[in-house]
Amino acid sequence: MRRAPRTLTVIGGSALTLSLLAGCAAAAPTSEEPVAGGTLIYATGDAEPSCLDPHVGGNYPQALLATQYIESLVSKNADGDILPWLAESWKESDDGLSWEFTLRDDVSFTDGTPLTADAVAANIAHLKDPQTASSTGYLAVGKIESMTSVDEHTLRIDLSAPDSALLDSFSMPWVGIQSPTALERGQDVNCESPVGTGPFIVEEWTRQQGVRLVRNEDYNSWPGDAAHEGPAWLEAIDWRFIPDAATRYAALQSGEVDVIDNPQPNSLAAATEDGPITAIAAPRPGASNRIELNAGKAPFDDERVREAFIRAAEVNDGIEGLFFGTVARSYSVLSSVEAESLSTPEYFDVDLDAANALLDAAGWTQRDADGYRVKDGQRLVLEFPVSTNQSVPAEQSLFEQIQATTKQAGFQVILEPLDLSSWYGALAAHEYNLVSAPYTKVGPDVLRILYHSDSTVPAPSGYFANLAQLKDPKLDALLTQASETTDATLRAELYEEAQDIVLSGYHVLPLYDQQNHYLHGEDVEGMRALPTVSTPTFFDAWLAR
Amino acid sequence: MTAPETAGTAYGTAHVAARPGARLTAGEVISLAVILLLAAAALVPQLLAPGDPLAISPTEAFQAPSWQHPFGTDESGRDVYTRVVHGAGQSLLIGLAATAIGIGLALVLGTLGAVGGRALDFATTRINEVLFALPGLLLALVFIAIVGPGVTTTTIAVGLSTAPGYARIIRSRILAVRRSGYVEAAVVLGHGPLTILGRHILPNAVAPVFVLATLGVGQAIVWASSLSYLGLGVVPPAAEWGAMLSAGRPYISVAWWLTVFPGLAIVATAASATALGRSLQSRTRQEQS
Repeated sequence: MRRAPRTLTVIGGSALTLSLLAGCAAAAPTSEEPVAGGTLIYATGDAEPSCLDPHVGGNYPQALLATQYIESLVSKNADGDILPWLAESWKESDDGLSWEFTLRDDVSFTDGTPLTADAVAANIAHLKDPQTASSTGYLAVGKIESMTSVDEHTLRIDLSAPDSALLDSFSMPWVGIQSPTALERGQDVNCESPVGTGPFIVEEWTRQQGVRLVRNEDYNSWPGDAAHEGPAWLEAIDWRFIPDAATRYAALQSGEVDVIDNPQPNSLAAATEDGPITAIAAPRPGASNRIELNAGKAPFDDERVREAFIRAAEVNDGIEGLFFGTVARSYSVLSSVEAESLSTPEYFDVDLDAANALLDAAGWTQRDADGYRVKDGQRLVLEFPVSTNQSVPAEQSLFEQIQATTKQAGFQVILEPLDLSSWYGALAAHEYNLVSAPYTKVGPDVLRILYHSDSTVPAPSGYFANLAQLKDPKLDALLTQASETTDATLRAELYEEAQDIVLSGYHVLPLYDQQNHYLHGEDVEGMRALPTVSTPTFFDAWLAR
Repeated sequence: MTAPETAGTAYGTAHVAARPGARLTAGEVISLAVILLLAAAALVPQLLAPGDPLAISPTEAFQAPSWQHPFGTDESGRDVYTRVVHGAGQSLLIGLAATAIGIGLALVLGTLGAVGGRALDFATTRINEVLFALPGLLLALVFIAIVGPGVTTTTIAVGLSTAPGYARIIRSRILAVRRSGYVEAAVVLGHGPLTILGRHILPNAVAPVFVLATLGVGQAIVWASSLSYLGLGVVPPAAEWGAMLSAGRPYISVAWWLTVFPGLAIVATAASATALGRSLQSRTRQEQS
């Protein structure tokens, strides 16, 4: 490993000589041979998970880590086509109620347990078990009714209703496949050291500090779009938790760490201009970054008040100024990578006079000494718990601007910056009128998770995804029908109609696309984001030093 | 910055400036000027900065200091100068109120300990020792973790965490004064214990604590700012120096003025309050000796 850089110099040197000999004016070769070995240091700004098993709960910080050691049945390529991964092939019955997955027969988990149909069935059962307290994975496999092992490597899955999103769901890290032997150890142990089939293995988790991942020497299950075969180039990944964005960026600049995520927009804008730091942009599928208006309680149970809020909230200038041109305003509930995304700027024209008229019509006619509207002695107060782990500082500043602009119409927005667990607590207790919660899911079926009335009922983890508290039978019917149809055109129409209900009912204030940005130093090569949910994969990554 | 240290300097063998009744030094004049300016900013901020500290203007974000915006504008286009001026009241109020709470609580604890008999003395001293075992800021953090963030909580939290230091000084002062000739005389004259406490012991025991309090105000402002900086103090969008510092930090590489000006305000205030406290201390000691 120590010798590697010297080898590199020799290769680079001879290549240079060759090009000189050829009288070629081309720049020095950049496509060097990958070098095996070395430890890559990754600094994440996402919250430290409370469990490394992505089945439990199921949030994005878990997905970032789990991508390194847990793999899924299927993957996606950059064009969005489904690729075989742990499942070699599959077929759907004509009525869409039954699927047969054929697994690879040469794959083992890193604890030696072979990958079999029973192992996959045990994983889905684990997700559905209320004891697991899963949310994301639980909702994704909601239609799976029973599983039968046809033979050692063939699993039949029966559904309660056709599921056009099943393959998308199986591509997500939250439905990743873990060793059944490891799962049997119980949740406490499995949270510490989950076992998958991935290119790396969880060696040690030091709380508040980081996770050490070491190379899986026997790795053989890379997805079809990987750049090489055999085990990963890197010997280990040192995964560090550095919650503060400025510190993280400084660590990258000084070379103390190799890769960071969640950079500040200004660092990102600077990085793309400079040489030594490279940016990777990976738009997240699923929902856009948006503010949900809780229609489940006053004052947003009145559509006029919701519309007044949206008419009064000025966000365009803020997005431009705060994000340094790194994001674009969204007028959709879906991420722009989703083909079915419906963008409706016409619903989001800012108009203070209209907002005032709407509030007057809704009975909020008086104003108190501070300029806030009052009705029956009650102030027009909106509670807005903000997760400081999930909302970057720029986003928090944007919320302050919304607070200031909606004040002109007489709204008192109370921003409550909270850590992740207090934030989940506030949502579970319904102590919010406004909330911004990221939700990542592959495919437009995320609409069903976010806006179907079923999602107002908490998943086993206690989280309910329908934070807008939308309970509309017509919308429910559209979303159910869309998720059951295999006709792509009909599906797109249904989703368009469903989105129009959500947007025209002023349930959501879309802000901007959900984007992952990674910055890495100049000696990191071969890193990419998996096209499924844009988590980074280091299987092909190597260090040129 | 811990309370015992302050107590040590006040009653240890610190240097004694030999300037009884001397004229104000340059340092004292500057400190006084800063404090007066702050008082003006706190009482009539509109006079110094007529703008609205909460008025946003996103299109004017991140503007460097200029004639129009002497301290520049922040990430939402708010005028930093206006916010610093309007933040003075908030910071000063927290500093003063917290010190008042600390001293009030300490008076009760200290007096009870000194004159309330052996059992009470034992109880209050032990409580004090337990509180001392926790660093002051940690005590404040625990309090906020239980009650939740906000201006009132921050003030009470900082007050609570400074109380043990003051209580210990008050107790020892009362014990010393109680043994003095004039108290013994009062006892011989047959005055009641409450009269003696109220008329002789407390006035003599508490005077030096007020000098310490001047030092304490500076410290309380720094602590309150630290808590806001950690996101535990005032909630957005209130203009408070610590909170401004915290909000500006992510942009330090592109907009230095977001952190420098509120930072300077904190330093100037704490330094002036401390300098005034120290000179007040050495002057009173001169008069006593």
